[in-house]
Amino acid sequence: MIEIRRLNLTLGSFRIENLDLILQEGVFNVLLGPTGSGKTLILESIIGLRSFQSGKILIGGKEIQNLSPERRGISYVPQDLALFPHLTVRENILYGLRAQKKSFGVNENHLDRLIDVLKIKHLLDRYSPGLSGGEKQRVALGRALAPSPRLLLLDEPLAALDPALKGEIQQLLISLHDSLKFTALHVTHDLEEAYLLGDRITVLIEGRTEQSGKRQDVFLRPQTVKVAQFLGLRNLFPERVLQVEEGGKSITVSFWGREITLPSDHAAGRLSPGEDVVLYLRPEEGMILREGKPIKESLRQNIFAGEVSRILDRGTHRWVSFQPRGLDVLLEINLPNYVFRNLAIQEGKEIRVAMRRESFWVIPV
Amino acid sequence: MNFKKTATAAALGLFLFYAVLILSLLTFFEGKGFWEVLRAPDTLFSIRLSLLAATLAMLLAVAIGLPAAYALSRASFPGKKLVDTFLELPMIMSPIALGAALLIFFNTPFGAIIQEKGILFVFEFPGIVLAQFATIAGLATRLMKTALDEISPRYEAVARSLGSSAWGAFWKITFPLAFRGLISAMILCWAKAVGEFGATVTLAGTMAFKTETMPIAIFMALASADIRKTIILILILAGIGLTALYAVRFAAKTPQIL
Repeated sequence: MIEIRRLNLTLGSFRIENLDLILQEGVFNVLLGPTGSGKTLILESIIGLRSFQSGKILIGGKEIQNLSPERRGISYVPQDLALFPHLTVRENILYGLRAQKKSFGVNENHLDRLIDVLKIKHLLDRYSPGLSGGEKQRVALGRALAPSPRLLLLDEPLAALDPALKGEIQQLLISLHDSLKFTALHVTHDLEEAYLLGDRITVLIEGRTEQSGKRQDVFLRPQTVKVAQFLGLRNLFPERVLQVEEGGKSITVSFWGREITLPSDHAAGRLSPGEDVVLYLRPEEGMILREGKPIKESLRQNIFAGEVSRILDRGTHRWVSFQPRGLDVLLEINLPNYVFRNLAIQEGKEIRVAMRRESFWVIPV
Repeated sequence: MNFKKTATAAALGLFLFYAVLILSLLTFFEGKGFWEVLRAPDTLFSIRLSLLAATLAMLLAVAIGLPAAYALSRASFPGKKLVDTFLELPMIMSPIALGAALLIFFNTPFGAIIQEKGILFVFEFPGIVLAQFATIAGLATRLMKTALDEISPRYEAVARSLGSSAWGAFWKITFPLAFRGLISAMILCWAKAVGEFGATVTLAGTMAFKTETMPIAIFMALASADIRKTIILILILAGIGLTALYAVRFAAKTPQIL
């Protein structure tokens, strides 16, 4: 396990305070956050390129924060890759083994496997300035993984790639990780990339860890409003806790002037009556009802009538904005194209929308 | 005349200005006397002295200037801007003033101790090297800093993460990548040291067969109205300087990779 404990770092007016970060071994960890949230500072602190005021970095229980970068066993792939242009691909790949005086014989199988997975055998005698963008990415990954690091740090290496190449390298990272099971910390501000690559995701906002957990937990069950806003989540409605059942099994929350009772595990943390919360409904969970069709009993309590205020064509799906009658709120509903066609709705049309209790998530303010 | 043509005309005008200066020397040039002056013991001594002193001054400037340039390029430290500003002092200060400052320094108690118990600088060969060093060290540091600035620090960061020490990362990665720029800086500073006059004449004097570098020999020949010798020495000095400057351009153009 790799642990960052109570890291404190100040750079000008920017501060990282008491940051804790735990990276499971063999797991592809993602540090996700907006630009300027301190991701790169944390990375540089872990590598040993930046000193920090206080805190500990532990690998396998041993403190490494006082070791020089070359003694930490942490490889680093920066955004611009920084392939050594005066060395061949082979020399780039072997650089770490030579610098660490590791025997090639011992690492031969690992190297062969790496070169094989990365498909760079035919590039070994070439220099990096002559390589394509994708080839450079492969070589940079090979160079970083060749000395079998205890941790691989990736500082937004895919940020400047075009979508096709980005997709290719993302797939490569997944298969490389499946094959070699290394421990990685990948820094990105790209939500899709984080979801695709991250077994575990830590959300960093303004130098603070806002949430850390499995990818589904972070994206489907945001623990704070800041995380929800950063993730670009729609359908965040300011409401209030009305009642908490004795024993804490369920909570009742106001919703658009009505009440809705939810299982308490649909809330981020323990809540108290009168507490302000944000109610989140995933856009794919809003159900537009067809007239004349029977309605399940469980849905009857949460049906709202209103009109379609706007329809946005997003290519593979449509965003339907629904305005409930008499309320100044909008509910975004995400519909796959085939569902949208079957419903035959248009802007201004009167519709009814139902929501299942299980689709709500309550976030404390 | 459009903008590009005007700019090109200015460049050609400058070239003609210097070319006419050199060509004007040929008005008084007598070919048969060239070898005679060149082979004269005092001329050969001046050439040898200039080349040796300039080479030592340049090596000294690189030995101190390269780490200084690295620090200015990569590190943050208190007083960095002040140090950076002082590097330009020799560029804005008259060489004679620089030489006079050195001469005065060796007349202070601390300077006198260096002279008595260390190395004799005033009116001696080490004085030539020191005067040239003082003139070029700031320039060498500035030029080498520019060469290092062009190399991303991330190369070193990656090299260190892969297991290289700070020294190892510098010598294996940064130094080879900045090599062309560093060589250009060395050649340029060496050429400037070869042509240095003001500081040298002030600190080391004008003693024949002792401190008579080529620029001093030119000054001495002109002072004694020996025009033929003056012209030939100027041509030799210009030849050495132009060869060095051409080498700088050659170093800059030579592909470093592949």
